[in-house]
Amino acid sequence: MKLKNVAAVGTLALATAIALSACSGNSSDNNSSGGSSDSTSPSASAPSVDSSLTGTITAGGSSAQANAQQAWTAAFTAQAAGVKINYDKSQGSGGGVTNWLGGSYDFAGTDSALSSDQFTQAQQTCGADGGIDIPVYLSGVAIIYKLSGVSKLNLDATTIAQIFAGKITTWNDPAIAKLNSGASLPSTPITVVRRSDGSGTTANFTTYLSQADPTDWTFEAGTAWPTIPGDKSSGQQGGSGVVNTVQAGNGTIGYADQSSIGDATMASVEVGTGGTFVDYSAAGATAAFEAAAQDASQGADDLTKKLDYTKITDASSYPIPLLSYDVVCKTFKDATQGKLTKAYLSYITGAQGQQIAEKNAGAAALPDSTISEIAKSLADLK
Amino acid sequence: MTATAIPNAPAPKRNVDNALTTGQLPRLFELYSLIAALAIGAGILALLGFNIVGWIVISAIVYLLIVGIVSGAVENRRKAVDRIVRGIVVLAFLLAIAPLLSTLIDVVSRGYKDAFDMAFVFKTGGTHFDPNTLKVTTTMGAWQAIIGTLEITGIATVISVPIGILTSIYLVEYGRPAHWMNRTVTFLVDVMTGIPSIVAGLFAFSLFTLIVGPKAFSGLSAAIALCVLMIPIVVRSSEEMLKLVSMDLREASYALGVTKFVTITRIVLPTAIAGLITGVMLAIARVIGETAPIFIAASFTSNYNANPVSGAMETLPVMAYTGYKFPGTDIQASYDSAWGAAFLLVILVVILNLIARLVARLFAPKGMR
Amino acid sequence: MTETTAAFPQSAGGSGSSGQRPGATPAARRIVAKARPSDRIFRFLSVGSATLIMVILAGVALFLIIKAAPAIAADWHTGDLAQGTTAGHADFWTYTAPLVWGTLWSSIIGLVMGAPVAVGIALFISHYAPRQLAGVLGYLVDLLAAVPSIIFGLWGIFTIRPFLLPFEHWLNAHAGWFPLFAGNASSTGSTIFAGSVVLAVMILPIITSITREIFLQTPRLHEEAALALGATKWETVRLAVFPYARSGMLSAILLGLGRALGETMAIALIMSPALVFSLKLFTDNANSQTIAANIALNFPESNDLQREALIGTGLMLFVISLIVNFAARFIIGRTGSTGGGKSKKAKALPPTDATSMLALDDAGSPLQALHPHASSAHPEGLKPSQPEGRE
Repeated sequence: MKLKNVAAVGTLALATAIALSACSGNSSDNNSSGGSSDSTSPSASAPSVDSSLTGTITAGGSSAQANAQQAWTAAFTAQAAGVKINYDKSQGSGGGVTNWLGGSYDFAGTDSALSSDQFTQAQQTCGADGGIDIPVYLSGVAIIYKLSGVSKLNLDATTIAQIFAGKITTWNDPAIAKLNSGASLPSTPITVVRRSDGSGTTANFTTYLSQADPTDWTFEAGTAWPTIPGDKSSGQQGGSGVVNTVQAGNGTIGYADQSSIGDATMASVEVGTGGTFVDYSAAGATAAFEAAAQDASQGADDLTKKLDYTKITDASSYPIPLLSYDVVCKTFKDATQGKLTKAYLSYITGAQGQQIAEKNAGAAALPDSTISEIAKSLADLK
Repeated sequence: MTATAIPNAPAPKRNVDNALTTGQLPRLFELYSLIAALAIGAGILALLGFNIVGWIVISAIVYLLIVGIVSGAVENRRKAVDRIVRGIVVLAFLLAIAPLLSTLIDVVSRGYKDAFDMAFVFKTGGTHFDPNTLKVTTTMGAWQAIIGTLEITGIATVISVPIGILTSIYLVEYGRPAHWMNRTVTFLVDVMTGIPSIVAGLFAFSLFTLIVGPKAFSGLSAAIALCVLMIPIVVRSSEEMLKLVSMDLREASYALGVTKFVTITRIVLPTAIAGLITGVMLAIARVIGETAPIFIAASFTSNYNANPVSGAMETLPVMAYTGYKFPGTDIQASYDSAWGAAFLLVILVVILNLIARLVARLFAPKGMR
Repeated sequence: MTETTAAFPQSAGGSGSSGQRPGATPAARRIVAKARPSDRIFRFLSVGSATLIMVILAGVALFLIIKAAPAIAADWHTGDLAQGTTAGHADFWTYTAPLVWGTLWSSIIGLVMGAPVAVGIALFISHYAPRQLAGVLGYLVDLLAAVPSIIFGLWGIFTIRPFLLPFEHWLNAHAGWFPLFAGNASSTGSTIFAGSVVLAVMILPIITSITREIFLQTPRLHEEAALALGATKWETVRLAVFPYARSGMLSAILLGLGRALGETMAIALIMSPALVFSLKLFTDNANSQTIAANIALNFPESNDLQREALIGTGLMLFVISLIVNFAARFIIGRTGSTGGGKSKKAKALPPTDATSMLALDDAGSPLQALHPHASSAHPEGLKPSQPEGRE
């Protein structure tokens, strides 16, 4: 395992170096192609859509970005009436990528960037240029709970890790009481509610735990809830399943994409170690992403980001951001389809697109630096 | 006296009660016992703390005990058993009808708001984008899902019902039970009932990918997936129904010189029609509610698409599933639309059922139920 | 009484002439009907359909095997299979075994709860309920077959889970020594028991609709004969209706079982799953997961090889239903055609006046001739009498 990590870091560094050089090499023809291909080319500054576009975009994948995709689709098709966009949210990230690799999708939404295998496979589907990961959707993982009589709860990373690992089993545990000096905590047993299906939210959350408190959270991070000895947690299907079960019980605690929690009560999470507890806010997620995102590019124009949660220390940021990508071929076999998909992706990752996601889907806007990075990458799309 | 009817029947070993001479309980005995049981149940629970489920359970047990003991003492053992079984059968019925009604009540009470809203039923869901405020407002609509459900299930039915019924005719009327083909088909139909629905979806999608290329999402491929699930149910149930057609009828027909084809189509099928239609409706009901194969094979869309040969389609169960699992920003509206879609689906099946019953009545021979 | 006895030879003669008795068959077989074009086309169509089914199934089986093979053969300690939902399993078989158990276990519980009730309802509708009520009830049950599984899932979450919770807690607290009720009582209600209750409700309409139709097909003569002999209603049902309907009941129950084995969404929504071998019914953390639900839960987020592993588990579901069906056919074959089981039943009967005649009759008795359950349930009985003479 250790060996593998070292190797991974090595490849990562190498990939980054290559990507950086590739980026600088490409940037010149970026501008030329972006300028010549179509004058209304959407970018961060010019959010309007070419209304003469027609066609159908078939896509699918991550359900996290489903609401954002719906809002984007509405906004995009309102400006280009001839376009139809089908985003299949029931496929999940894995299904999305599989279908995209099989050539069924124009782009796929996924909560985790393409693996190196998939990245190589993409060259068979898309041709030599392969595919690229584009961050499109930023949100946060919310810790939700239901405990009668307690409407405000502060938790830090250690307590969260201990609760979800089954080491803290009652609500009046001293560790929780210490963080919530004012509240009167009952002795109700804690019921941990987690996802029973594979999920990008689980991946984000477990990655956060394993980075923020590696001593208590010794389990592997991934899309599936790990096998924890003596685990008493209750698994539920979908974010909605977790939210419903948490709300239906008493003494329950769970995690979910904050855009899907409805009126469930969120716990405040400590950011850094300074004793500051923050609620989720869109601005907080944006700030957190800016601080945590590490470049992990796998090739030219690829914008894979690795989140280092330990870097989120600023009091203005929310400690558990969640990122979702769209993956797309760099060179489309069908040029008109490529143009259409490029127009759509440019729109959704533009400033207006990100605002729409924030207003309508509970997402947080990507930071400006990332938006301009994306615009640069998308300009190479053919 | 009855003993004379069977010459070789063994003589009764002991004096048995005669139904005509043993005592008889009053006609409304069972009603009285029920009232008594309910009272005793309430009494017991008054001591333990009252709850409605416990009351019903205890009363039921007490009722069976009263009926059994009293009838056993006053009448005879056979009558006691009969009364107990009658009690159990009614109880089974009540036991089952409770959850079934509860489901229906849930569906109706949560779904009627949307399902009775004409704008929901007859309009495709839509969005309105306001470029000034960047606000997107979503309106829910089920029309595309209704069309999708009807087309996909319709195609699946048109393909599977003839195949299924013809196969069962083969099994019952043509094939010999010992023949390898008969045995293989029976065996394969058994196996087909075990295909997980999601696998059927994958199979159909892979098949269509081979035929039409990667963008194979279509209502037709979903319909093929449903066929795989539907055929075994049709075969299984129609086989049973055809077997039940009395041999006398077939033989009477053959004796009159009627050909096999005409015997099957004019005698066997009409006699079994009620059962056949029940089987077909069961099969339709089973597949019309499928979600997994639909979103594998037909993808997902909230756009209107009436062309089953190309493009993503949505069905009502998929709408219900996605409405619950992936709610929009207005969670309550999504749940409402999910229940609305479910209610519409139930209404749709009721209508199909009524049509099917009408068809059955038209074709059934006179004098049948 | 003289009327009753007089009726017997008449009806016995009626069915005897139909050629079901062994003596009549050789004569019937010699008649060869002339085949007409319509006959040939029809025969071709039905044989064609049967062949088509074989082709479809071969296609599905081939698809499953090709898709599943890489995952079954793969090394589960490294690569994609060592991550995500398939992590921590030595090979395909250790991954699948608990799933197979969970599938069987939840279906068995569902069937044990659902099947007797379903047959009871069918009997109530066909034989006990007042006629007009029966039509409405039959319709209601048909209607419930139409409720999609996703709705049963939602109903399970919102209604059944909270409803069963106190009951589960009570049993867990008072009878926790019993293995089925042991373990950490669930606090959310997402137990395998709740899942199985919903399964039981889901298979009810399937079993009921089919058995009801079959019960209604019982020849009226058999029942009237039994009643005329003084049998009580239950004895009539047991002696005239059940033997006649046995094969059909088994088919109905197997169809119900098929649904329970393959049920996806309801289980996936209701139950909190774990990949364990467990008998416990009332826990959050020891509910054996089912194959179909596991596929549905993990398919969306899986990559290629993991998907192939999931399809492999689908192949196992295929095998399970094969074995179950096989076993059931074997059992019905054993108890159905040999007379052993029946005579045992007959001895258990009280030797009362009318029933003794009904039950203890031997092969030569009029009722046996009137009672063609062996032949109607088993096509071998009918085949020889058909005027085909071909093949």
